[in-house]
Amino acid sequence: MKKFLIYSGIFAVVFYCLLPFIWTVITAFKPPDEVFSLPVKYLPSKLSFENFENVFYKRPFFTYIKNSLIVSFGGTLLTILLAAIISFKLRYMPVSKALSIQKWLLIGAIIPPTVLVIPIFLIIKELNLVNNYLGLILSYTFLNLPFGIWMLYAAFMKIPKELDEAALIDGFKKSGILFKIILPLSKPGLSVATILTFIFCWNEFLIALTLMPDETKYTVPVGISMLSGVSVYEIPWGEINAAVTITVLPIIVIIAIFQKWIIEGLTSGGVKG
Amino acid sequence: MKINLLILFTLSIFRFSFSETTVLRMIGPEDIGNAWHTIIEQFEKQNPDIKIKYISGPWSTDERQNMYIRSFLGKEPVEIVYMDVTWTAKFAENGWLVPLDKWFTKDLEKEFIQSAVDAGRYKGKIYRIPVRADVGVLYYRKDIVKNPPRTWEEFEEICSKIPENMYCLSFQGMQYEGLVCNFFEYFWGAGGTFFKNGKLNLNSQATVEALKFMKNLIDKGYSPKSVITFQEQHSLNFFMEGKSVFMRNWPYAWNILNKENSKLKGKVGISPVLHKNGFESHGTLGGWGLGIAKGVKNLEAAWKFIEFATSENSQRILHFRRGAVPSRKNLFFDEKILEESPHYKELYKILLNAKPRPVHPEYPKISDTLQKHISAVLVGIETPKEATEIIYKTIDGILKGEKENYLKRIFYDYTLWRTSINTVYFTIISVPIEFLLGLAISLLINLKIKGRNLARLGVLIPWALPTAVMAMSWQWMFNNPFGVINDVLIKIGILNQPFDWLSSPEGAMFAAIFADVWKTTPFVVIILLSGLQSIPKELLESISIDGAKGFTKFWNVTFPLLLPFVRVALIFRLIHAAGIFDLIWVLTKGGPADSTKTIAIYIYDLAFRYDEIGYAIFLTIIFLIILVLLTIFIIRITTLKYEKIK
Repeated sequence: MKKFLIYSGIFAVVFYCLLPFIWTVITAFKPPDEVFSLPVKYLPSKLSFENFENVFYKRPFFTYIKNSLIVSFGGTLLTILLAAIISFKLRYMPVSKALSIQKWLLIGAIIPPTVLVIPIFLIIKELNLVNNYLGLILSYTFLNLPFGIWMLYAAFMKIPKELDEAALIDGFKKSGILFKIILPLSKPGLSVATILTFIFCWNEFLIALTLMPDETKYTVPVGISMLSGVSVYEIPWGEINAAVTITVLPIIVIIAIFQKWIIEGLTSGGVKG
Repeated sequence: MKINLLILFTLSIFRFSFSETTVLRMIGPEDIGNAWHTIIEQFEKQNPDIKIKYISGPWSTDERQNMYIRSFLGKEPVEIVYMDVTWTAKFAENGWLVPLDKWFTKDLEKEFIQSAVDAGRYKGKIYRIPVRADVGVLYYRKDIVKNPPRTWEEFEEICSKIPENMYCLSFQGMQYEGLVCNFFEYFWGAGGTFFKNGKLNLNSQATVEALKFMKNLIDKGYSPKSVITFQEQHSLNFFMEGKSVFMRNWPYAWNILNKENSKLKGKVGISPVLHKNGFESHGTLGGWGLGIAKGVKNLEAAWKFIEFATSENSQRILHFRRGAVPSRKNLFFDEKILEESPHYKELYKILLNAKPRPVHPEYPKISDTLQKHISAVLVGIETPKEATEIIYKTIDGILKGEKENYLKRIFYDYTLWRTSINTVYFTIISVPIEFLLGLAISLLINLKIKGRNLARLGVLIPWALPTAVMAMSWQWMFNNPFGVINDVLIKIGILNQPFDWLSSPEGAMFAAIFADVWKTTPFVVIILLSGLQSIPKELLESISIDGAKGFTKFWNVTFPLLLPFVRVALIFRLIHAAGIFDLIWVLTKGGPADSTKTIAIYIYDLAFRYDEIGYAIFLTIIFLIILVLLTIFIIRITTLKYEKIK
């Protein structure tokens, strides 16, 4: 009986967490006219890809995806690179000092993007980087760096310091130690940091909305949200749900594959909301 | 050697002529009927050295205005400014536009409808040449009503006699610019004027009466309750399906109503909008025009395009391809056009009587204030009298220039207080729910059982998905009438009829909180789970041996050990809930009637819609200080308890 309760509890939790996603997928695969059928149909009468076709054919969704990929890859790469270098420096400091630096970084990371968006915009505007991928990439790096350092530092500290000394004697340069020894050895931590940074960049909305006002520079979340804002009948819900499915599915797959690492990484390192 | 030089020379000529091509961009709505592309094609044929790029923006006018403003602020202005009547004053005041008087001669001006030209004038200079005119009109069913009503009184009389399965009037009742257009028609129709002797005159009886009349439309059942979600397209659909006898809309609807497959083909007439007995009818002047952004290098090229796009030829294309009403007088007497649109005779008269909305650089804020409070009246949050008073006070404050002192301004910034209350309300409801639910879930999936990995994966998913994108998903689920949530609630008997989640104040707030709980509870779970795992199992076991059980064990051992994690979760959640933006911005846009607008959205609007970056930064700093104080406070209370138990 107790077991039954526990399992139904777990089932309820999982169902609740997946609910919006499930409904979106169901809607996306409906034939367009069934999306607006009343009473609401719970399963499509036949599997239709028309909504997906429309998303790509009628809207510049490819452009959105391309933009998102550019800024997410760029932002992730730069974040991880800088985080690796900084964490490597921190590694040689006394632990207490390194931790207190990170504490300050983390306090910076708590500040919500809503407070940061105006200063970021003003700086990027001064640099003439509005509507420029680089502007968004730099902002994402700035926003995610504390998190990246937090994760990588934890991963680096698991590697014994004697290894560095041995490498030095073997004639490695410092950069060589970082890229050829430390990074390969901290693969789990490195992958989690990379994956999560990528997801944060991929998901980000507010800064992308502000720094990329040109429609040809919209990222996926901005592009999708711009489809709303009109009244009930005008919103192309079939296409929106298809677009949401395409955006969200890769994330779910990645999370599913790396689940164990991610949970371990998160619970031992920092977490970002 | 010589040949080489020659090649170089020709190459350089080619290069020179390539770089000479001027590219001009403009933003407009989706190009229905390919009208703009046809115009651009013809223009480019005549001017091969100029390329026009038509950027197909979102349908929402506000959104397109924001696109322009952001481009002006971002140093890369979109060259050709395709603007609504109401943008001119603001854009001109900010110096974003180039005056066009040099090219727009008196002779040229005579060919246009005067009011449409005047709407593009600011402080004596012309900034915008009208491409298409627009005016609010009343559509009526000729097959049901012989003589359309002219006055409010006649209207009510007819409405009491219409077929039972029909509503009387379909109009635009959603909180957006269209609502203000509707309002002004009733306001002017009751003898109202925005200014009187140079002073704001909105606190007159006309405001109260206009609001009362609009509220009555819903209360007496002349218009459906769902009219508060209607924009143009929706009110047109409603009318087209034969659900109402009258419709207030713009002239574009005529062509759609008279299409081959339309049920109402030939059954519809137009007449001036209603007015109160003893006053005059004035439709709201709308329409679009073209201007040039400051900073454009090739001004001559830009003007060439504007001249071409406002010519009779182009306006004819716009008329035939997408039903745009011309701004040139001649076209109203053009035989071909009259043959296709006999109603232009009537329309011309209505246009001559049209009134523009107040031409003022602060118009966006004026309109925003009006939208909010008219909407609040329609929804029933404010009475017409209360709304009139607040509208007057707020707009009077805007006009007097609240720029003096930010600190002073805070105290009479009505929107700031409203949004602060919303933010606090949202935070103190959502965070405790998220926390308790998160605690329960983390205890559940910390149990050593099969399938807990699956549960953990499930919990990770809402956390990892993009908030803005999933907000669309929730918007779809809360949709009325097509949403699944209403359907389920009715099926299991909790609701008797569909509930308008996103367009009623309580419903919208509930939806926002519900979606936020879904999205952020997993974050609490992840943190608390890592806390639970850091508690040594031996400790819990030894305490079990001592006889502590269930709740006692949890309260006296687990929870105190969990406190550092509780603190982290609480701080993060409180700060991020207070700064919430993405979710609400996409889910409800802060509406209806500002009932879900939070501080973060207000500050964002100030900075990027109203161009008040100074005040926005000031509020941001205060907001930040409050957040820091809040954090210190939480650290204090959680640490104290922890030490006591120790």
